[in-house]
Amino acid sequence: MRGIDAHIAGTATAQGGQGTAGDYFALLKPRVMSLVVFTALVGIVAAPGTIHPWLGAVALLAIAVGAGASGALNMWYDADIDAVMKRTASRPVPRGAILPGEALGFGLTLAAGSVLVLGLLVSWAAAALLAFTIFFYAVVYTMWLKRRTPQNIVIGGAAGAFPPMIGWATVTGGVDLGSIALFLIIFMWTPPHFWALALWREGDYAKAGIPMLPVVAGPDETRKQILIYSLLLAPIAFLPSLLGTTGLFYTIAAAVLGAAFLHYAMQVYRRREGAAADRACKKLFGFSILWLFLIFAAILVERGLGLAVFQPVFG
Amino acid sequence: MMAETPFSPGDMARRRKRAIALALILAGLAVLFFVTTIVRLGGSVGMRSF
Repeated sequence: MRGIDAHIAGTATAQGGQGTAGDYFALLKPRVMSLVVFTALVGIVAAPGTIHPWLGAVALLAIAVGAGASGALNMWYDADIDAVMKRTASRPVPRGAILPGEALGFGLTLAAGSVLVLGLLVSWAAAALLAFTIFFYAVVYTMWLKRRTPQNIVIGGAAGAFPPMIGWATVTGGVDLGSIALFLIIFMWTPPHFWALALWREGDYAKAGIPMLPVVAGPDETRKQILIYSLLLAPIAFLPSLLGTTGLFYTIAAAVLGAAFLHYAMQVYRRREGAAADRACKKLFGFSILWLFLIFAAILVERGLGLAVFQPVFG
Repeated sequence: MMAETPFSPGDMARRRKRAIALALILAGLAVLFFVTTIVRLGGSVGMRSF
């Protein structure tokens, strides 16, 4: 933070008010937000029970804004390391378009607003989960774990795994095994997804002083961990079927997608040198995004086509 | 005599656009709360006898 303040001080930007609406929109991390909205929608659709479509849409809007608030708070706090990483140097705060204090105010306002809107208009249980998610991402992950431990994205990944639980809670008013299964899928997916990125962006993270696993434990250990988490992810993807949330269509999709994920993880494990190793990491990173989309889309399609109804195995 | 402003015309244009965006968001929130209130009350609220 201090480095960024010193960088900005004395420039025209120091007076603030330079950011465009587009810069503020970029603070919301719109690509992350779209995945959050999608997984929250699946949580709403998969949950036992119904919700008025308007209230469902309001809940999604609040969850999207809450996710955006987390992004803005992350960009406020991480502006100094964002400035030295190629992937993030053009973000609005390190670029000088928005002052750190402006990003902080924007993030806090949206965080409070999204939680209040979700609580007042839809469900206080879902609002409490949203508030915890924002706190977890901004404080536990960004401020505490990210710069201190190579387990940063393992524990911090929980923040990205909460949205389907929030969506589910807007319908049921609580947390149960079905929503925990959706949480676990994203939670176990996060480490191989980010470590695949970190393997070929290792230099960037090292320059910024972030103790990502490849920087601290080396690429070989990271490849082993990617494979272990992928081996755990494949069976966890079947949990919704075992709990009665999903049916045969989803189960087949989970089997095919799980096998493909393991294939790409094996490629990363085997190819350790040169361009082939980088290519394998990029392929796993790209496929992991597609995997998450498809596995959740399978639930959506199954429910949309009436191929499965909620049949709880426990309780 | 016009008072000097520390903001350039470009700054003022950006400020105006942000003010318009904020006004639209506030108007949207008002509509959101109004419609949600009606939805939560139920459709029959509009048909009640006074």
